[in-house]
Amino acid sequence: MEKLIKSKVIKYPDSVNTDVIFPGRYTYALMEPEEMAKHAMEDLDPDFQKKVKERKIIVAGRNFGMGSSREQAVLSLVYAGIKAIIAKSFARIYFRNAINNGLLVIEHKEAADFIEDGDEVEIDTQENKIRVKGKEFTFPQLPKEVLKIVEAGGLINYVKEELRKEE
Amino acid sequence: MGKTIVQKILSAHTKDEVKEGNIIWLDIDVRSARDFGGPNVVKHYREHYGAEKVDDPKKTFFTFDLVAPAKTIKYAINQSICRKFAREQGIKVYDVGSGIGTHVLMEHGHILPGNTAVGTDSHYNIVGAIGAFGQGMGDVDITFVFKTGKTWFEVPKTVKIKIKGKFEYPTTAKDLTLYILKHIKTDFALGRSIEFYGESVENLPLFGRITLLSMVTEMGGIIGYIPFTENTIEEVKKFTGASDFNVFYADQDAAYEKEIEIDVDGLESQVAAPPHPHNVYPAKDLKDVKVNMIYIGSCTNGREEDIESAWRILKGKKIKEGIVLSITPATRRAYKNLMEKGILQDLFDMGAIITNPSCAGCAEGHPGMTGEGEVSLNTSNRNFPGKQGKGKTYLTSPEVAAASAITGRITDPREVL
Repeated sequence: MEKLIKSKVIKYPDSVNTDVIFPGRYTYALMEPEEMAKHAMEDLDPDFQKKVKERKIIVAGRNFGMGSSREQAVLSLVYAGIKAIIAKSFARIYFRNAINNGLLVIEHKEAADFIEDGDEVEIDTQENKIRVKGKEFTFPQLPKEVLKIVEAGGLINYVKEELRKEE
Repeated sequence: MGKTIVQKILSAHTKDEVKEGNIIWLDIDVRSARDFGGPNVVKHYREHYGAEKVDDPKKTFFTFDLVAPAKTIKYAINQSICRKFAREQGIKVYDVGSGIGTHVLMEHGHILPGNTAVGTDSHYNIVGAIGAFGQGMGDVDITFVFKTGKTWFEVPKTVKIKIKGKFEYPTTAKDLTLYILKHIKTDFALGRSIEFYGESVENLPLFGRITLLSMVTEMGGIIGYIPFTENTIEEVKKFTGASDFNVFYADQDAAYEKEIEIDVDGLESQVAAPPHPHNVYPAKDLKDVKVNMIYIGSCTNGREEDIESAWRILKGKKIKEGIVLSITPATRRAYKNLMEKGILQDLFDMGAIITNPSCAGCAEGHPGMTGEGEVSLNTSNRNFPGKQGKGKTYLTSPEVAAASAITGRITDPREVL
């Protein structure tokens, strides 16, 4: 995980569901990362591919990632270049899929409200701060165990690292 | 301090302290992957663990329930990838035609009350209906559980929903479910375990419990429980074929984050209009909505009793011309029982399509999808745009679905009884 993530944001509303993040019609065709990235947000935002070239943070409303357990809804965004998502809240399966794949997810109601589409945002993962337009928001540290998974770049890597330490 | 139901089940499966907000490492009794998540699980598994053995093949399953049988070569290849892996590892495959994975695993006594179970199905928490802990997870999670038998989990807070008042047939568990969704949307229970209390829920038979608790996912919840009654225990014994299992109840002094009371007295039939499952109206208020296709099935309403109830309304009546009515029993057992009772024969004679057991329309499934401008009315659990076709999807009970098949528009069943 990067210590400092700095980028313009793409903003989305409440209740962005996994069917529009990664459409069901492509689910589980075994796809290569580049191909998955191409279909990300296809049904929600036709301009996503253009936006994501220079914007690496998504800001969204309530219950981001509601719906199915498909992991491509996380991976397609990761492969498209998204580094972090700030939302008012996340669907729980999505939240853990994100963590298991090393994608930074931050729940912050005020920040999600305050930040507007196109704003330049800085996420400081060392100090747990979101800085935007001269304002600073503090987000709670992820639980220690979870943070270790994100930092290792995902669940499988994390456990591999732990096992290596034991050896 | 006392414990809630979820805390008790989790406590029985971990060495860590089960305190709200704590991350615990949880022992998992049953793990499964479907024809969608399965191939990716196999891909991850081979990539990370090569030919190493899974933690316990007896506790590991594949269940093919989505595009089953495979309708394209891609899906067929995916399924063959799982079958090959299963053969190498000695894992049981509930292959195409078996039915919906969670239902099948309960019916065959693999998942029992008090167990923990995870799989690549966001409605895996349906196993709350038999007092188990279940959770839908992504491919990486399931790969990890296949290998280790464990997963990490944040102990959720528990909320309480008290249901006040009574309702009568043709109002059923689905109407209750949609009405609760209308009230709590996805906010009240997001990331929480829910316990439901009150006569109307506690009296629900097992199939009604399955309906309500399957849609805890749409409420944003982790899992839901209704305390077992004597009748539930008997039903679960019959359903799972097991008689030895742990039933957990909440302690008197268990701590709930919050409580809400919902009055359902005299509740009428309900329908969820697009684009969200919580966009709910009385069926009679939507009587001008013309329908093109109707299906009865899915993990939410695909039990034998659901289909039998629809049949009772349809019996002796005609399906409106132009309506495509599909029936998808949840499992092979449900299918067989309905067949032996002559119910499928009747429905067939009326002009219905009887498909093989599967997840029905939730995954481009066998009841078909809608084209632009068309309306699907069905008994599943999600009506998000694009989920079941280009058209609009309305969610409802088997009773409303049956009544609407007679009239060709959304219909309160009392209109045709």
